[in-house]
Amino acid sequence: MRRSRAAALAAIGAVATLVLAACGGGGGGGDGDPSEDGIYADCKANPNTCNAVPASELQQGGTITFAIEKNIPNWNINSSEGNVFEPALAIKTLLPWTFTTTPDLKMVLNENVLVSAEQTSTSPQTIVYEIRPEAVWNDGTPITADDFVFQWKTMNGKDCPGCAAAQNAGYDQIESITGSNDGKTVTVVFGTPYADWKNLFASGTPLYPAHIAAQQGDLNTPEGLQAAWDWFGATVPTYSGGPFQVESWQDNVALTLVPNPSWYGETKPKLDKLIMRVITDATQEPIALQNDEVQVVYPQPQVDLVEQLENIPGVSQYQGLGLTWEHLDLNLANEFLADEALRDAIFVATDVQAIIDSTVGQFNEEVTPLKSHMFVPGQEGFEEYLPPEQGSGDIERARQILTEAGYTNIGEGQQLTTPDGRAVPPLRIRYTVGNAIRQTTVELIQAQVRPLGLNLEIVPTDDLGETTDSGDYDLIVFAWVQTPASFSNAQQTWLSTSESNYGQYNNPEVDRMLNEAATSTDLEAARNLLNEAGAILAEDSYVLPLYQKPTIIAARDDVANARNNSSLDGPTYNVEEWGLRASS
Amino acid sequence: MPESPVTAPEAGSRAPEREFTVAERSQFQLVLRRFLQHRLAVGSLVVLLFLVLLAYVGGALWQYDFGEFTPDKSDPPSFDHPFGTDAAGKDQFAQVLRGTQISLQIAVLVALFSTIVGTVWGSVAGYFGGAVDTILMRISDLILTLPLLAVAAMLAHNFGGSWWLISLVIAGLYWAYVSRVARGVVLSLREKEFIEAARALGASDARIIFRHLVPNALGAIIVNATVLVALAILLETALSYLGFGVRPPDTSLGILVSEAQTALTTRPWLFYFPGLFIILIALTINFIGDGLRDALDPQQTKVRA
Amino acid sequence: MLAFAVRRIAVSVPILLISTFIVFMLASLSGNPLTPLLTRNPPPPPETIALEAERLRLNHPLLERYWMWLTGIFQGDFGPSVQSNLDIGAEVAARFLVTMRLIAVAMIVALVLAVVIGVISAVKQYSKTDYVATFLGFLFLAMPAFWLAILLKQAGIEFNNAVDEQVIYTIGDSSVPPPEGFGARLADIAGHMILPTISLALISYAAWSRYQRAAMLEVLNSDYVRLARAKGLSRRRVMVKHALRNALIPLTTVTALDLASIISGAVVTETVFQWRGMGDLLLTAIHSDDVYVVMAWLLVTASVVILFNLLADLLYAVLDPRIRYA
Repeated sequence: MRRSRAAALAAIGAVATLVLAACGGGGGGGDGDPSEDGIYADCKANPNTCNAVPASELQQGGTITFAIEKNIPNWNINSSEGNVFEPALAIKTLLPWTFTTTPDLKMVLNENVLVSAEQTSTSPQTIVYEIRPEAVWNDGTPITADDFVFQWKTMNGKDCPGCAAAQNAGYDQIESITGSNDGKTVTVVFGTPYADWKNLFASGTPLYPAHIAAQQGDLNTPEGLQAAWDWFGATVPTYSGGPFQVESWQDNVALTLVPNPSWYGETKPKLDKLIMRVITDATQEPIALQNDEVQVVYPQPQVDLVEQLENIPGVSQYQGLGLTWEHLDLNLANEFLADEALRDAIFVATDVQAIIDSTVGQFNEEVTPLKSHMFVPGQEGFEEYLPPEQGSGDIERARQILTEAGYTNIGEGQQLTTPDGRAVPPLRIRYTVGNAIRQTTVELIQAQVRPLGLNLEIVPTDDLGETTDSGDYDLIVFAWVQTPASFSNAQQTWLSTSESNYGQYNNPEVDRMLNEAATSTDLEAARNLLNEAGAILAEDSYVLPLYQKPTIIAARDDVANARNNSSLDGPTYNVEEWGLRASS
Repeated sequence: MPESPVTAPEAGSRAPEREFTVAERSQFQLVLRRFLQHRLAVGSLVVLLFLVLLAYVGGALWQYDFGEFTPDKSDPPSFDHPFGTDAAGKDQFAQVLRGTQISLQIAVLVALFSTIVGTVWGSVAGYFGGAVDTILMRISDLILTLPLLAVAAMLAHNFGGSWWLISLVIAGLYWAYVSRVARGVVLSLREKEFIEAARALGASDARIIFRHLVPNALGAIIVNATVLVALAILLETALSYLGFGVRPPDTSLGILVSEAQTALTTRPWLFYFPGLFIILIALTINFIGDGLRDALDPQQTKVRA
Repeated sequence: MLAFAVRRIAVSVPILLISTFIVFMLASLSGNPLTPLLTRNPPPPPETIALEAERLRLNHPLLERYWMWLTGIFQGDFGPSVQSNLDIGAEVAARFLVTMRLIAVAMIVALVLAVVIGVISAVKQYSKTDYVATFLGFLFLAMPAFWLAILLKQAGIEFNNAVDEQVIYTIGDSSVPPPEGFGARLADIAGHMILPTISLALISYAAWSRYQRAAMLEVLNSDYVRLARAKGLSRRRVMVKHALRNALIPLTTVTALDLASIISGAVVTETVFQWRGMGDLLLTAIHSDDVYVVMAWLLVTASVVILFNLLADLLYAVLDPRIRYA
């Protein structure tokens, strides 16, 4: 037994060395597990182009079935109900948008739809989009400024109060949208500057056809807008401005897509059919893939699942690191956690590497402790600013911090006592029930702070929203998604006035920096501001970032051009290129 | 719930009350002797007792605690870890023993609670008949229409999933089945001569129910209780699989086996060992119940048609 | 008999009413259906959340919500789902058919198996066949349903590999898109049904074959069977015409009564094999605190159970002339 363990360690070490050699020590985004193979062998080096096969080498026709893990209850992905990752993967094959997030986590212009998008003035902030003249909906109606206006009016929270939009941010700062050049030139003027402007009308909130909306009501009235909005949610689309269009929809079973004959993009789909099969239990996906009932899966990686996928002959898989990051939060409303020394000690005693080793490290050797609250590696502006002792698991240092602050009874089996003589009672650490990885995480944290004389009581929750909203926790482990809109994202998470600031963090200096960054028109300066604010946040020991969650794609080896995209765009971001290798 | 063929023990053979103790012992000896002849049942009893001992005594003595992290992660079975370890390095043997404890506790609590409540309920209904019977049995019917899974899931949602809560939820729905069985047996006994005799001697209703009816229905009820134990273990497993079972940091065989559902081809030791324990427990209990049934029912003899 | 049936149904109505009330309270109190909205990142605007709360009737007191639901039922309105576009009535109807197809086939398979094996076991009591059948029956009875299903899936894949053809499927009730031609389509549906049917049938069959064995033994021990044999009727004739016919009576009722537990069992089967039936609907509803879908599920399931219990009683009367309902 010992020998095989040693062998395993040696193997891991060897692989790790290889990885370091391969990517020159850079921990860049889009990096994945070294165990990738087959068609995904080059994904680490070329996350944006791996498994690429030129159209001439693809077979004409064929069917690919892609597993999505949720049903599609609502077809309007800009609405709060429809804005869910899995259904959006399917629906976005039908819609045009401005900016795409590529697998390396960069935002690039969607050249299928746009010729250009430029910021032409900073005061007032003005963006000019040039739509390609060829870009049309599948009924021949051109894609124009009208579609932008419809989106703006339904999502700004003012023109259509009944439209339950997934987000208002940015749209509510737009002053006007005017079309010229037959609507193919769109000029957007902001009332207050919005640093995340690239995120508007982008892949996260794509465009819906305004001319079809107009059939549902008068788009100059709130009622008309809402009628159209609700209609888009309830109706299976026949319209399409993307590479595919809907052939049929079986609720809860599958969405069958066929190429859109009016598709204006350079790359025309080669497939006859693309099927989005609803499989709500991820554990069933590897078996279905092995049995060739689906050809591409994109589940949440788990140790057995990854190994199962690796073992299937004729199937390749690749892991990337995504925008979702796990973190340990402290509730500052707790009278004991209000003291910074105790918070510092907890963060120093937490051994993030050990947590990784016992959880995601089991199937992905590339996951490392995350050292930023503001960006993930690969995103522009990423900087490691976390103090090195946080997350180090250095018990001695943690004890020293407590001793210096005047705490007593610092030791295993003792009950930590504050400088003014109060015993620290057991604190509740919470996580979502059923999440095995977080369960292990909190059990490890419990064990790691025990030598400080600090006892944690593990209390799972089955209603994370309720728990965070009501602040019903002392410590909690969950995940945030780093959306491409970094600046408004940061405001939502950390501002003292934000509803998502569950742990009641309040630092006026941080508030000022975040607000300044979000309204800046100079992206470089804004990113620096975010990192500075993050450094202050880290010093205050409020939230300890743990790691970036991996994502995994697995596909049968004849599938070409489908690759992992760990961003919110998902692997279907280039769905028009998907096809089957001709030789097979 | 699969109804088991329950037959009342031969009630007419019972002696008058004065010789009660003597008659009881001889009946008991008779049953015991018949039970011991049922080799499969006796073997099952031995295996089950061994499992119980292993879970409680073995679990306490074993070198690893069920919550302890060892440095060996995802190790296959070895001398050090007979059932291997999971991804976080927990010893699976300790986990399975702990799971067995909790699963057994759930099963026994379910059997006890639903048998006691159901027997009293059904006996009272069957004995008094009329309006009492109608009201009590309609309440039983009401419980039977409540979908066990849905209610258990919602209750677990509300109050968290400690093992005794799960058992109370299951028992709170199972007693209705028992009450039906008990009522049926009591109905058939009610008109028997020895009950009439007791009534003629002036025995109170309570005395008749608890001294005469219940002891005579006991055979059928005990057999039924063994079936309940097996069913409760399987139901707990199903609930855990669907995500409504016992919650960490507690564990159970159901939790272990459903957490390992993807491990069949990759880390089979995590999949098979807890499953094997569930099967062993349910199987042995069913065999014991079968042996008891045969032993309590002197009518069933070998036939040639 | 008709009067009996009517009376039974009349009694069932208040029971159903109370049971819906209890479940409504449980479901409404068990979680917040707005959770997915509240945890969304970026968070939706507060107006959005207020709109959703209004739509789901969360602004009304609990008792009033129940009343709204109850009165709505009589107008064919099952209430608002968390999924705003879901027509609960139509959804339940579609799901009901899927589940019933699964259950009906599995029950038929289980019944045939149970009768054959039960009768053989009884006739050859204490023989090797009896012991093997008994042991297998108990073994299946002791297996967790999903555990068996996972093993079956693996076996299905091995089978496909062995014959080098896609015969057995592990996901859903048919392929998307369905294959061309009637024969191919039939084979496709059969290929999807094999594993779920086996896993559901094996578990019910085990209990029923035990029951059938006991009933058969009782009949074989009865005086009239002995008399028939004594009269000189052939063994075969006695078995089929007299013994088996009478021994089937109790099984009929047990089957009807067991329907409730089979519906529960199907929840697990539907999850493992990703069938979009009633069980799948219930689970999704519970996980998303979708109160009105849970209620619709309860209404349909409880009605079916009550109906089958009634049917069991009536069948019993039809099959056994000694029983009379006043």
